[in-house]
Amino acid sequence: MTGLRAFYNDREPYILGIGFIVLLLLVWQSIPLWFTLPRGMALFFTTPTKIGASFYQLLMNGELEKHFYVSALAFVVGLGISILVGLPIGLLMGRSRMLDALLDPYVTAFNATPRVIWLPLLILWFGIGIWSKIVIVFAGAVFPLLINTYVGVKNVNRVLVNVVRSFGANEWQVMKIVVLPNSLPYIIAGLRLAIGRAILGVVVGEFFGASQGLGFMIASAASNYKVDVVFVGVAIFMGLSLILTMAVKGLESRLASWRPETVKSF
Amino acid sequence: MKISDYYAAHQRGVLGFLSLIFLLAGWEILLTYVVPLDPFFFTKPSLIAAAFAEQIAGQKLWHDLAVSSRAFIWGFSLALVAGIPLGAVMGWRRRVEYTLDPFLTALYASPLVALAPLLIVFLGVGLLGKAVLVFLLSVFPFIFNTAAGVKSVDSLLINVIRSFGGKERDLYLKVILPSTVPYIVAGTRLAIGRGLVGIIVGEFFAASEGIGFAIQNYGDTYRLPDMFVGIIILSVIAVLLTEILRKLETTLAPWRSGEEVR
Repeated sequence: MTGLRAFYNDREPYILGIGFIVLLLLVWQSIPLWFTLPRGMALFFTTPTKIGASFYQLLMNGELEKHFYVSALAFVVGLGISILVGLPIGLLMGRSRMLDALLDPYVTAFNATPRVIWLPLLILWFGIGIWSKIVIVFAGAVFPLLINTYVGVKNVNRVLVNVVRSFGANEWQVMKIVVLPNSLPYIIAGLRLAIGRAILGVVVGEFFGASQGLGFMIASAASNYKVDVVFVGVAIFMGLSLILTMAVKGLESRLASWRPETVKSF
Repeated sequence: MKISDYYAAHQRGVLGFLSLIFLLAGWEILLTYVVPLDPFFFTKPSLIAAAFAEQIAGQKLWHDLAVSSRAFIWGFSLALVAGIPLGAVMGWRRRVEYTLDPFLTALYASPLVALAPLLIVFLGVGLLGKAVLVFLLSVFPFIFNTAAGVKSVDSLLINVIRSFGGKERDLYLKVILPSTVPYIVAGTRLAIGRGLVGIIVGEFFAASEGIGFAIQNYGDTYRLPDMFVGIIILSVIAVLLTEILRKLETTLAPWRSGEEVR
């Protein structure tokens, strides 16, 4: 008995956390056993096992792979471009007061406004193909990266910069030796936020005016009352977000173990 | 001399303002004199200003804004009312946190906006569907920020209150609340951003009124100046709300300012 007790005490957070999720899934699964749902409700209802079955089916007939490929392409290309653009601009804004003052109004305005508002315009400009999705992913992901890089550069210790300067380093060497290593934890934190925004961009971008992709799969399944397919899509997005954010978070805590996370944010 | 003094004091603001003016002027000049304007794909500031004046004078814009803000306020207030107590319990009781944290974190990290089509099909295109979407997106920052705030309470302060014979009420009002409020304000700022995504996506979907619908409808009918008016109004609202809360954050907790990433 004491062994069981100790086992529980050692793993209490995991047991309670996983137990709660399992419990919720079991309750969800058993709802149809307890109530007979009215016809209208039954149309909208699905259970975890049905979702699992339709996941298997979609996986086997290759449909999932096709949609996943399109979404992943938009995600990777959009996020890649936003890293290529966000990091340099963030660095420059952090190092140059002039550039900071000139660009700040736009960064503030764009960052505060949900980027999805530009979607109708982007569809008009780039069509309903993959480019409008790539651009909306980029627009979502670039600002967290840019702003975090900027904050990281701003928080660099002045003394260190001065030391390197007085030993004769030029601006490039200051960047390489002091600024970049010091702002790396911030950049990684920005990457984590950017991943969340990028996935949001993929989802919403594919809802409207698309003919492929996981977002499209969700939207079209919802309008055909295929609720289980909707949940397959939602579960995939959920799993991907979790895996990617956890991976980046692991990296983050290795790089900046001295900077404990106070509040969760995604 | 006076001008240079003013410039020195307000350099950031002046430069920002100038860069905005130059961008607008450059945009206008480029499309008036250099490149012929294709009104189906692009527009210029003077046309947007005209559309702006027209919309301000008309009824439709105000109606759309009222419709959207009603759904937003419903969803957002529900998120506040539900999120803060739940977060407080999570921060205060260790076992509750262990139980709920993985589940809620999974929901927070995942793009719940993917549920939008389903919610609209379930709940209709009116107020309810949009309000629920706003609620789902904006409740998590409230929960997690309140929890973090309650957990951040210095246990030394609690002991001080206790040893000086303070009552339970003093504990809540004098220690826990003051150290939690800055976190909640920060959470409110995040929640506003997420809530706005909810309202826009909800209205893009299948609404017949509201500012998100208006923007999409103008896009579909190639009325670009009108569309930009909607985008600009929404940006102004978002910037105002965010900046007010940021100010509030630095007033309430000046020691935390600049610490957190945006």
